[in-house]
Amino acid sequence: MKAPCFWIVFLTAWSILFINSLDNDHPLKKFTLLMLSLIILGFLLFLLLTSNPFERILPFGALEGADINPVLQDPALAIHPPMLYLGYVGFVISFSFITAYLLNGNFELQWEQDIKNWSLVAWIFLTIGIALGSWWAYYELGWGGYWFWDPVENVALMPWLAATAFMHSLFASSKSNVLKTWTMFLGILIFALSLFGAFIVRSGIIDSVHSFANDPERGLYLLSFSGLITLFSLTIFAYRLPVLNSSKLVVTGSKESFLSMNNILMITSIFSIFLGVTYPLIIESINGEKVSIGPPYYNTIFAPLILIAAIFIMISVDALWQRSLPLRTLFFTIAPPIILSLVSIYFIWRTTSVFSILAYIGIFSGLLILFSYLLRTINNLFNKRFFNKGSAIAHTGLGLLFFAVSMNSILSYEKNLNLAPGQSISVDQSVKEFSFNDIRVFKASNHDVISAEVSLLQDGQEISLNPQKRKYATRGQITSESSIHTTFFKDTYLTIGDQLDNGSWTFSLKINYFIKWIWFSAALMVLGMLLTIFKKKAS
Amino acid sequence: MNQLLRFLIVILPVVVLIFFAKILLIDEDIKFSNFDSKNFPEFQLNDLNGDPVQSESLNGIKILNVWASWCITCLVEHPFLTRLSEQNIQIIGLNYKDSDSKANAWLEKHGNPYLFSIYDPRGDLAFDLGVTGAPESYLIINNQVVSHIQGEMNQRKWQSIFLPLIQQAKQGS
Repeated sequence: MKAPCFWIVFLTAWSILFINSLDNDHPLKKFTLLMLSLIILGFLLFLLLTSNPFERILPFGALEGADINPVLQDPALAIHPPMLYLGYVGFVISFSFITAYLLNGNFELQWEQDIKNWSLVAWIFLTIGIALGSWWAYYELGWGGYWFWDPVENVALMPWLAATAFMHSLFASSKSNVLKTWTMFLGILIFALSLFGAFIVRSGIIDSVHSFANDPERGLYLLSFSGLITLFSLTIFAYRLPVLNSSKLVVTGSKESFLSMNNILMITSIFSIFLGVTYPLIIESINGEKVSIGPPYYNTIFAPLILIAAIFIMISVDALWQRSLPLRTLFFTIAPPIILSLVSIYFIWRTTSVFSILAYIGIFSGLLILFSYLLRTINNLFNKRFFNKGSAIAHTGLGLLFFAVSMNSILSYEKNLNLAPGQSISVDQSVKEFSFNDIRVFKASNHDVISAEVSLLQDGQEISLNPQKRKYATRGQITSESSIHTTFFKDTYLTIGDQLDNGSWTFSLKINYFIKWIWFSAALMVLGMLLTIFKKKAS
Repeated sequence: MNQLLRFLIVILPVVVLIFFAKILLIDEDIKFSNFDSKNFPEFQLNDLNGDPVQSESLNGIKILNVWASWCITCLVEHPFLTRLSEQNIQIIGLNYKDSDSKANAWLEKHGNPYLFSIYDPRGDLAFDLGVTGAPESYLIINNQVVSHIQGEMNQRKWQSIFLPLIQQAKQGS
């Protein structure tokens, strides 16, 4: 049971670091420590009562370990869960601090600065964790995709969206004293969603590639514990709400106003994902019918949300804190990116001659953000004016993400091929020749390998690929190792399937456009956040 | 308005919590035992003594228990099966992917709760039955596979899944 142990190690580590960063006479230290200790206690009890690591497994001890699942024997996967959990758990700090603030009852205190960098760091870990998980799924699981709207991916995305909304409103509330109540609510929500994620993964109530343990007892404990913690916090929040509601009003047309709009959009997407995750359960509990909610639902919901978000981001690029944006400026801000994006869309349509309304909405949204920040950055550099480089880089990352995901969805394709060793065929315009040269069988440390040697003549270039199948000795599990050739625009992704009766082998050849850009854009977002932290330190 | 908002902030999470608790508390085992009954698959196999098994032996109310000498959880459920057999419940073994010498030695050592055990070294019958692993138990009423229990058989699963069906069958006949 690694997950509860992970939680506890990170929980205590974050707690010690944060508590020691506060002065001893800090008015909130006492209550923060109380909240952190209560949460640690809850998780320690969880470990002790439901997944005691020292308990004997059976009346008869296992003779031999079952070996770690082969698909998990991979470096990216050794880093992905710790990163993800560091992120999830990191938000315990803002959660405890906000609850302490609410308990304390002195609302003259400024609390934003104390947790800002801590939350930024947690956000960075969470982002890296999710991106690594997606990258691992791409090259190791052999599905050739990067995101599957799997329930466990969704429960990681919900805290991420909440955290992103939280960061934004935290900036606003520390800059101009608005949205304070809202920021607090989000701070509580992130941790509640993280706990919900732990509950989903551990209880096994939702079928998913990620749900490892199927144990109602654990689920019930986690549910009641996380419910108690969240309800405690929310009840105090609701109790204090009338006193809190005195912060300043948001000026229409100011940066805060657009930021609040996007906050609403992020909450909408969290709610939509939540509905997508729980809907099958609701239906099943009503009439026993099994339904599944897949990519079409999420794509349809997200396309319009992304477009609206992109428009607000575009407008807010030139907006000012606490001051309304003049209509004239607004026009000059939004006209160039819109025109440039429309022109680019036209060229994309001309060159690819594919059309999909959802994908084009995504491309348009991505381009709007990219062009807005590009023009703004050029303008600022030219006039040697100060601008927030961290924000520019992070938002460029977001624009790039929308663009890459949408381009990937319209351009990528898959071919299933059937070849005997020594055979060679022509696949399409781009892959002129596909030669299956040889197949070799050999032994590695803990698995047997069947390795195919394939050479491709793609776009006038000779590529050699070695997709493998592995059989792991201990579990007898068979895995497929993809072989990937990356160029600037696309990945050539090859996996080997089964051998047919006539001796030929099946191959799946996927051409994935812009896929590496997705992780590059995540890296940009992280870089942007890092810059924000270090800029704060410097000033 | 503000009162309502304060109320909702607390009540909505409570509703969500109750919903999940309710789903969790629906017994997992009962959920999995929703099972369409089907005819027992045809087979030609011997028992562990080497005598061919007659398909008539599956008439009446029988429990078919999938076991193997390599299966550790089978040892865990073994005392419970022995108790069942002492209460005149008829249990037939399906010796799964095992060798007859090891299987017979196992029965010798731990005791034999089975009327007889079908010897299925390649897992052919198990495949037709849809066995997921050992141990697994099937309730067979007059050559019909009516229900099954995955994993270890115990008092709780016996009472919640097999016993009601057996009582129903007895009342019907």
